Amino acid sequence: MPDTHHAFEHVKAVYLPIAIVVFTLVVGAVLILLVRGAGRDRPGRRSNALRLELANAAVLACVAAFLVVITFRTETPLDRTVAHPALRVRVIAAQWSWRFEYPGGVAVAAVSTWHPRPALVPTGVEIEFAGVSRDVIHGFWVPQLSFMRQLLPGHVSRFDLIFHAPGTYMGTCSVFCGEQHTEMHFALQAVPAVQFERWLASGGSSA
Amino acid sequence: MSTIAVPGAGVQRATLASTDHKRIAASAGVLSLGFFIAGGVLALIMRTQLAADGGVVSQGVYDQLFTMHGSTMIYLFVVPISLAVGLYLVPLQVGAAELVAPRVALAGLVLFACGGITMWSGFLTSGGAAAASWWGFDPLSDASHSPGSGMELWIFGVLLVTVGQLLWAGCVLLTALRRRAPGMTLMRMPVFTWTMVATCLLTLFAFPALIVALALLWAQRHFGGVLVGDLGAVDYQQLFWFYGHPVVYVMFFPFVGMVGEVLATFSSKRFFGYSAFIVAVLAFSGLSMTVWAHHMFTIGQVTNKYFALTSTALVVPAGIEYFDFLATVWRGRLRFTCAFLFAIAFVLQFLVGGLTGVILASPPLNYDLNMSYFIVGHFHYTIFAGSAFGLFAGVYYWFGKVTGALLREGLGKLHLGLMVLGTNMTFFPMFILGAQGMTRRIAAYPPSMGWQGLNELETAGAFLIALSALVFLINVVVSLRRRRPAGDDPWQGHTLEWATSSPPPRYNFAALPAIRSYAPLLDLRESREAVAS
Ligand SMILES: [Cu+2]
Ligand SMILES: [Cu+2]
Repeated sequence: MPDTHHAFEHVKAVYLPIAIVVFTLVVGAVLILLVRGAGRDRPGRRSNALRLELANAAVLACVAAFLVVITFRTETPLDRTVAHPALRVRVIAAQWSWRFEYPGGVAVAAVSTWHPRPALVPTGVEIEFAGVSRDVIHGFWVPQLSFMRQLLPGHVSRFDLIFHAPGTYMGTCSVFCGEQHTEMHFALQAVPAVQFERWLASGGSSA
Repeated sequence: MSTIAVPGAGVQRATLASTDHKRIAASAGVLSLGFFIAGGVLALIMRTQLAADGGVVSQGVYDQLFTMHGSTMIYLFVVPISLAVGLYLVPLQVGAAELVAPRVALAGLVLFACGGITMWSGFLTSGGAAAASWWGFDPLSDASHSPGSGMELWIFGVLLVTVGQLLWAGCVLLTALRRRAPGMTLMRMPVFTWTMVATCLLTLFAFPALIVALALLWAQRHFGGVLVGDLGAVDYQQLFWFYGHPVVYVMFFPFVGMVGEVLATFSSKRFFGYSAFIVAVLAFSGLSMTVWAHHMFTIGQVTNKYFALTSTALVVPAGIEYFDFLATVWRGRLRFTCAFLFAIAFVLQFLVGGLTGVILASPPLNYDLNMSYFIVGHFHYTIFAGSAFGLFAGVYYWFGKVTGALLREGLGKLHLGLMVLGTNMTFFPMFILGAQGMTRRIAAYPPSMGWQGLNELETAGAFLIALSALVFLINVVVSLRRRRPAGDDPWQGHTLEWATSSPPPRYNFAALPAIRSYAPLLDLRESREAVAS
């Protein structure tokens, strides 16, 4: 299920090498053409090659199809939300703050800061986030998870995330949302489930 | 500013009110270049801010800067100059004496000037210019989150220039369709003219969506209740991106056409794969109307897979164009002029923009990179490292035709070298910063992230680009003061604009050669050679 960062790395491992190979091939071809064309005194006359064009188009279509298959396969689990997540967290974004609300009334807020107090999450389980904005569009982005979702006013966006490794995951508002967009940060701290339960039971005070 | 005007143009009033398509186009071109410089100055202030990690301007001002930088570069520079080159060249390339409905094109010029001034006058209001990005997304752009007249002036400014651009597109398209010289069949139209046909079709289909979006936004600001409901914010985006993606191709196709012409001329060869290229451009245009919501992958409210599929499919027509570019140079007798070298730089640098575009078309990758500096790097590689280089290839190629005097090649190569260096220094590090988590549209970043070094490098690059622009301006001034006459056909061109004087007379042609292919002047030279040997 949705190890978003792993999914990102998996697709990147296909796309990036192909992009580099294509770039290198074209640069190489251009260099060769320039060097060989520099001293030529009579230009060639040929101005079309239908078979080569078709072959080129066919190769391109195959590459595109291959990329699309990789993308679709990886995307399907990313877009799914499980019916029974281990935890449900409400995310409320506003100009310019984040608020994470847990079952039992525990809440963590980060108001316009670069040093937010972390909101805790348990490691290794599926967590459903239900995000909404109170005013304009904001973007919930956790670069370490390679995941972003826009939060809209008046509409709840649901997505599942898993935090495999313990540690602090910095988050930031990715969608420009006005004057203090720059300061709109949050932090999620992934801890073992036991520690998370203790934290939740203590009302979010013992970290 | 008026130095581009044709010598002996008479009084300024006559120039401005002229219905000669060449005068209209030259005025539009000079005006767009003016906005390019203005938008560039805004970019330099932003880059200074980011190199210093904040502190140069306040956040509120920074928001106005990037909003007006993006708005200026897109609405007031690249789109208008694309269409302006079409206004100038399409009648010449199809052998027409005049543009269709030149007064309508003149009205487009007036709308463009008024719209640009309207948008920029926001800086004079007490609340400052618009600060809701070049997208103007609701609800950030509504009356409660963006009060003040800057936003209002932005809406009217964009509206005016967009209507003007629609008028231009109509004139250029009809000229290509209805004013072709005898013998100039559709499949003999030059490559650039074909790319303009595609550009104008896209403009006519896509730009009305922006007008609707802006009208709804205006109504929302004044009366409310328009962009509402569960997904009101998404409705605006659907309309905006229905314009916002095709406009990317309006800012691309004309330069593909220019580069095609330049590569063919300076390879001394006919453009390779003409029919495949035209099919590809038309397929490209059609397909590009179906990809808009790849800008909305991270909303979770569109069918991501459908838009990923159509967006990735764009590699097929793009790859055909690249094949034809390379095959045109293949076995050519090359002349390494500034125009040719700018065209080669376009081919190589745009590729970086294109390949990163394929990456962004994959939702699992887009979920991370969207809204980061990676995307800023991507579209600057397409629009600046790509289109702007294509534009300069065209400028060095056609300057002699438009003014009668050639640009200096030496200064031009200095311009090119500085611009290549500056461009890659500025925009390549953005891919790295984006992958590391730097968000776009921020006025500062946490010092602990260690991003300052790359930001300083980018800023140094931006000033190199500014220096290259200065070298270009010096080149223009020097070349116009101490003129080296271009003659009718300084480069041994292939297309009809080289069969008339430089600059062409009021009604373009005294006589036309026989038109038997898309390269009539090359046909003429080849048949002469055949007779001689
Ligand atoms: Cu925000
Ligand atoms: Cu797009």
